[in-house]
Amino acid sequence: MSTEDYKQVILDHATNSKKTKLYFSDLKKAVQKQYPDAKTRMVKQAATELINDGTMIYYSTGSTTMYGLKGRGITEDQ
Amino acid sequence: MALSTERLGKYDPNNPQENRVTDIGPRHFWQYFPEVIKNNYGKWAYHDILEPGIMVHVSETGDKVFTVRCGGARFMTVEHVREICDIADKHCDGHVRFTTRNNIEFLTDSHDKMVAMKEDINSRKTPHGGFKFPIGGTGAGVTNIVHTQGFIHCHTPATDASSLVKAVMDEVFDYFTGMELPAKVRISMACCLNMCGAVHCSDIALLGVHRKPPIVDHEYIDAICEIPLVTAACPLGAISPSKTESGKKTVKIKEERCMFCGNCYTMCPSVPISDKEGDGVAILAGGKLSNRMTVPKFSKVVVPWAPNNFPRFPEVVDYIKKILNAYSESANKYERLGDWAERIGWEKFFEKTDIPFSEHLIDDYRLAYDSYRTSTQFKFTQAAWDVSKKVGGID
Amino acid sequence: MAFEPKEEQKTINYEEARIYSQEELSNYTEEELKNYKIKHDVPDLDDLEKGPWPSFVTDAKREDLHRKKLNDERLLISKNCVEDLLGQLQLSFDHGETHWKHGGIVGVFGYGGGVIGRYSDVQEDFPGVASFHTLRVNQAASKFYDTNYLRTLCDMWEYRGSGLLNMHGSTGDIILLGTTTEQLEPVFHEMTHELQQDLGGSGSNLRTPSCCIGKARCEWSCIDTQDMCYELTQFYQDELHRPMFPYKFKFKFDGCPNGCVASIARSDMSFIGTWKDNIKIDQDKVKAYINGEAQPNAGSHNGRDWGKFDIQKEVIDRCPTGCMSLENGELKIDNENCNRCMHCINVMPQALRPGDDKGVTILFGAKAPILEGAQMSVMTIPFMKAEPPYDNIKDVIENVWDWWMEEGKNRERLGELIQRKTLQEFLKVVGVPAAPQMVTAPRANPYIFWKEEDVPGGFERDVEDYRSRHKR
Repeated sequence: MSTEDYKQVILDHATNSKKTKLYFSDLKKAVQKQYPDAKTRMVKQAATELINDGTMIYYSTGSTTMYGLKGRGITEDQ
Repeated sequence: MALSTERLGKYDPNNPQENRVTDIGPRHFWQYFPEVIKNNYGKWAYHDILEPGIMVHVSETGDKVFTVRCGGARFMTVEHVREICDIADKHCDGHVRFTTRNNIEFLTDSHDKMVAMKEDINSRKTPHGGFKFPIGGTGAGVTNIVHTQGFIHCHTPATDASSLVKAVMDEVFDYFTGMELPAKVRISMACCLNMCGAVHCSDIALLGVHRKPPIVDHEYIDAICEIPLVTAACPLGAISPSKTESGKKTVKIKEERCMFCGNCYTMCPSVPISDKEGDGVAILAGGKLSNRMTVPKFSKVVVPWAPNNFPRFPEVVDYIKKILNAYSESANKYERLGDWAERIGWEKFFEKTDIPFSEHLIDDYRLAYDSYRTSTQFKFTQAAWDVSKKVGGID
Repeated sequence: MAFEPKEEQKTINYEEARIYSQEELSNYTEEELKNYKIKHDVPDLDDLEKGPWPSFVTDAKREDLHRKKLNDERLLISKNCVEDLLGQLQLSFDHGETHWKHGGIVGVFGYGGGVIGRYSDVQEDFPGVASFHTLRVNQAASKFYDTNYLRTLCDMWEYRGSGLLNMHGSTGDIILLGTTTEQLEPVFHEMTHELQQDLGGSGSNLRTPSCCIGKARCEWSCIDTQDMCYELTQFYQDELHRPMFPYKFKFKFDGCPNGCVASIARSDMSFIGTWKDNIKIDQDKVKAYINGEAQPNAGSHNGRDWGKFDIQKEVIDRCPTGCMSLENGELKIDNENCNRCMHCINVMPQALRPGDDKGVTILFGAKAPILEGAQMSVMTIPFMKAEPPYDNIKDVIENVWDWWMEEGKNRERLGELIQRKTLQEFLKVVGVPAAPQMVTAPRANPYIFWKEEDVPGGFERDVEDYRSRHKR
C-alpha cells in the first residue's frame, strides 16, 4: 500500500463524510478500514501531503485541530 | 541580513512553497547565556537572597552572578521590551531572562554593577508614578501572578485577566517587595474553566466562571457549527441534537445537567455562554506544586463566585487580603498556605479568614465522597454551632 | 562544557536587521506621554494606570502614541490597532462580556498549529482590531535572550503587527498578539529567514516544551533541562507543527523536585530531575547555619523576625520521613529513607546538595480540567538516566504516543486515557512492572479484575463436575 492509496481514501472520506471537519483519528479509521495494516505515521504522512498540495486544510478551534477539504464547509475567513 | 520592508516580505503568494523554511524549532539557548553563566554552567554551589528581588549565586569556581528580579505585566508592548533591552545593554552586556512567572531577570557578574543597575531600575517610573520594573518576587512573599488573556485576546473568558492581576498586585504590592510571609505564596489566574493558566495547584487561584447555561442560536447553528462536534463537546452529555419548528437542525440543552464549563462554546460560536450577571470569579486556595515537606496538592474552592466588578474587583481583592492576612498571622515558618489550612483544619480556615462557607463549596462532582469528613475529628467553630442550633442540639 | 545547537546559529545583528531608525524609536517625549489621550473614552482603563504595579494600560498607550507618530508607510497594519484594542476592552468591561470571536482557518501554510485566529465582533467601532490573530513563537529554553534578538523581533512585530506581545504565554511561548491574515505568512517568513526562529504549538499538537533555569543558574538541578528541552523540541518538530494526536500533549522539564515549571501539574509527561545516591553534607557549613553565620533558606524569610535558626525545629523535625538527626553536632541523614523532598536542602543550601548520581523521575498524565477534573501526573518511572541524545527517553515517549493515538478518543488527554484504561494497562504500554511507588497506598477495595491467565486452570469449568460434589 502506498501513500497515494491512503491519500485517495482520505480524500474520498473528506468528500463524502457528513462532517466537513474531521479529526485525524477519523482519517486514520477510514484508512484502516480499507487497509487494516496502515500505520499511524504513514496515514499522517498522507494527510500532510494533502495539506501541502493544497487539497486539504487545517481547521483550528485553538485547542483542537481538525482536517477539512478545501472549499467544503466553513473554510474561508469569517 | 536585514528585515524586509516589502509588504509581503519574502513571501510569494503565487508560490507559497517557494522559500519556505520549516521545522527549525527554537533558537539555541547557549548563545543567550551571559559569559558568567556559560563559565559556571553546572558549577553553582549555593545562593543567597541579599534583599527582596536580589539574589547572588556563588559558583564552585568562586564566580558570582547577581540577579535583579523585576515584576511586570506579561502583556507588554515592543516599546516596553525595548526599554528592557536598554537596561540589559547598559548593565548586563545585552542579556536578559524571563521567568516562568512572567518576571524579568537582569544578571550581572559584579556587586557594584548590580547596585548601579538597581538604582537605574528603581528610577524608571510611569508618568502616573507607578513602577515600570518593581524589584521583588523572591522568597517568602507573593511573586508575580501567572495569568491568561481575558478580554484582551480571548473568545471564551468569564472575566478579564490583565485588569484583575493589576488590581490584585497593586493591593498586595508590599508582599511582592517584601518577604514577611511564612512561605512563598503563588497566585495564579485563569479566565475560564478551560484553564489555559492551569491554576489548579496554586496557593491562591483566581478563576473566571460562568453561571448561566449556554443559549442556542437556533437559526444559525447548523450553518456555523458541526452539530456532532457540539454535542460531543459536553462532558456531561447535556447537549443533544434537535430540530427547530421550521425543521432546521439545532441542539437542545438539558440545563439542570450543565456545569457551566463552556466546553461547548469553545467548539461552536452558536452556543454563547458568557453573561454580565452570570459571570464572575471563583477563588481557590491551598494548592502547591513543589514536593517540599508535603506532596503537591490541588487548590480548593473557598469562594464559589465573586462579581466581575471591573476594573478593580474590590470583592475579589478583599477576599485575597483576608486569606493572606490570616495566613500571615497564624502559619508557621516554611508552612505553605494549604499545609497551614490542613493543619488548623479547613473549618478554622473559614473562621480565621472570615470567608462564609456555603453548600457550593461541598463537592458534588465525581469522587465527591472522598472529600466528605468521615471522622469525629473536627474543631468547633460558629459554623458548627449553627448546625447544632438548627436541629435543636443546643439552644 | 558547552552545548551545541543542531544547526549553526545565525548571528543576529540588530544594527543590520533593524527597520526603525533611532529617531523613529524616540519620536515622543515623556511630557507628551503624560498628556496623551486615546480617541476612545476609557475611564476604567484610565483608573488602571494608578497604583505601584506596572500598568499594562500605560504601556499600551505609550505604544499607541509611538505608532501614531510614525509615518503611515512605516506600519503595515492599522495605526490605530492598540487604541482600538483598549476601546474594545473598555466596551467589554461595560458589557461584562468579551468581544472576540472564534478563530477558524488561519495559519501558515502546512502548519496545523502556532497561529490562532481572532476576530472582533464589533469591527465597525474598532476597525483596527477587526482581524487580530495570534502567533506563538517557540521561546529559547529557559527564556534567556540577547538584545539583538529581542530588538529585531520588536521591529519586525511593530512593522507587521500590533507591537503587542506576551512575555510569555502560559505554556512558555512568546505570544505575538494581533496581526491581519495578510501578514501571517510574511511574519513567518521573516521569523524563519531572519530570526532563524520557528513557531510554537497549538491545537492537537505537541505543545511547545518548556523547562526551568536548570544548571544555568541553580545549584539543585539534576538534569540539563535546557538541553533536554531543546533536543526533544527539535526531534519532534513534525509532531509540534502537524496534528495527529487526539488532543494537546505537553512536556515540561523540572531540574529538581521543587518543580519551578510546574511539570507535575501541567504536563502530560513530566520530567523531574532527581538523584539516587546520598545527599552531600558539608558539616562545617551545617555548623555555620547552627551558629547563625549563614542565612537559612538563603534569606528568603528575612522580612520578618522568626527568631534564631533552630536546626532541630526547622529542619530535622520538619523532615517528612524523619530520616535526619543531629549526633554530637554532626548532621546525619538516613538516605535510604529520604524521599528527596528538598526541604533540608532548601533551608541549608550551603551545607546540603543533591547527590551525584542523577537522572529523571518521569510522571504522566497531568492536565487542567475539564472532563475528569484536574489531574496531576502519576509517578511511573522512578529513575532514568537522562543523557544526550536521550534515546531511552524517546523510546518511552513514542510507545506512549502510539498507545494514546490508538486508544485515545478525540479530545481525550493522556491522563484521562490512563484513568479510563487503568494504570495497570498503561504500565504494560510503558513496559514496566507494577511497583508500590506508583500509588500512595494499595487499593482498599478487593474487587480485583482477575484475568483468566492469572488463575490455575483458567475460567473454563464444567458445571456437571461441580454438581458431582454438590447437590442442586
